[in-house]
Amino acid sequence: MIPRAWRRWARSLHLYIGLFVSPFVLLYAVSAVQLNHSFMPWGGRAATPSPSRTVRVVVVDSGNSLDVAARIRQQLGLRGEIGFVGRKPGSQRMNFPIETPGRTTSVRVDLATGLATLDEKETGVWDALIYQHRMPGPHNAKIRGNWVFTRLWGWLADATVYAVLFLTASGLFLWTAIRTERRMGLIALGAGLVTFMAMLIALVA
Amino acid sequence: MVHNYVGLYFLLFIWMFSVSGLVLNHPQWTAAQFWKVRDEQTTIRSIRPAIGTGDIALAEDLMHQLGITGEVNETKRNSGNAQFDFQVVKPGKVVRVQAHLDSARASVTEIRLNGWGVLDALHKFTGVKMDDPTRTRDWILTRVWSLSMDALALGLAALVLSGLYLWYRRPGTRLAGLAGLAALIAGVACCAFFVYGLGTLLR
Repeated sequence: MIPRAWRRWARSLHLYIGLFVSPFVLLYAVSAVQLNHSFMPWGGRAATPSPSRTVRVVVVDSGNSLDVAARIRQQLGLRGEIGFVGRKPGSQRMNFPIETPGRTTSVRVDLATGLATLDEKETGVWDALIYQHRMPGPHNAKIRGNWVFTRLWGWLADATVYAVLFLTASGLFLWTAIRTERRMGLIALGAGLVTFMAMLIALVA
Repeated sequence: MVHNYVGLYFLLFIWMFSVSGLVLNHPQWTAAQFWKVRDEQTTIRSIRPAIGTGDIALAEDLMHQLGITGEVNETKRNSGNAQFDFQVVKPGKVVRVQAHLDSARASVTEIRLNGWGVLDALHKFTGVKMDDPTRTRDWILTRVWSLSMDALALGLAALVLSGLYLWYRRPGTRLAGLAGLAALIAGVACCAFFVYGLGTLLR
């Protein structure tokens, strides 16, 4: 027999953690639908950039492209994650995007002349949802998290997963205590199991 | 009841997307190194002249001949249409075909991934791409899986909304109510800051 106090604790934690994490769950749900229906006009990346501007920067080429890009970002007074750094070996030219959810700035720099050309683009809230769904993600892992807020978001994304796993475990625990819902719950659980396994086998086999 | 049954029905889906999402966000983890330990085999096969005209139709004809199933991912024509390359994907398996149409032979490279590779693919297996809105799903199981992703998204929304309703209707002390409200406001504020605030407040 499970002590009543445990159930009380499980219910409280399920409630408060669930309430905190619910906007994050909605964010992932909505952006998953967007990613699944990319043919719909979500705006974003196709937005027209504002007119280009050129800024002079003082750059000491340390050979570490991310380091150089980060110093240019600082001089430009821009905040955001450096998405990638494009630079051919031995070249004096480099390009990189500075991204925040809903806004991206493409930067092209000629290190020889110290001229940086900036193309800013407002990509909107829909794009921000997709951006956050994919962050930090598996790509460009060596440079990912070069902005403090991307690192923070990465921790939040992890925390969301752990919270969801806790919610499912505590939800299962709480459900087993409700005798009247056991039969229908087992049917729902079984139906989900059959659906999932059938799809998995069909897709993988 | 909705909260319980929807949660129980989608339990495995939620676990699958949670775990694969976690691994996607940690490419340094051993579980994420599935590509390095892939099993890859190449065979040379004979093909009949394909009758398809468009790239997808041609790929589907060749897939039928070669006994390959899955979503056509990429197509490319080389050397004045004498060579037709395409890639077929399904969770845990990638098949690259280089069809030499003039010599009626095809080089078929089959890449098999482990269970973590299957999970990774399931997480992203939509058959469409954000940077290519013209792309459509050409395998029925991709459509079924993408439909299940939509259903899961709806299910999660139902879980959140029914959870909020249950909290609203829950009898309890004023302190408990305030604690719940504080948790919800903290979650909304945090999420709004990261989605909207970063791009607008921090300029």
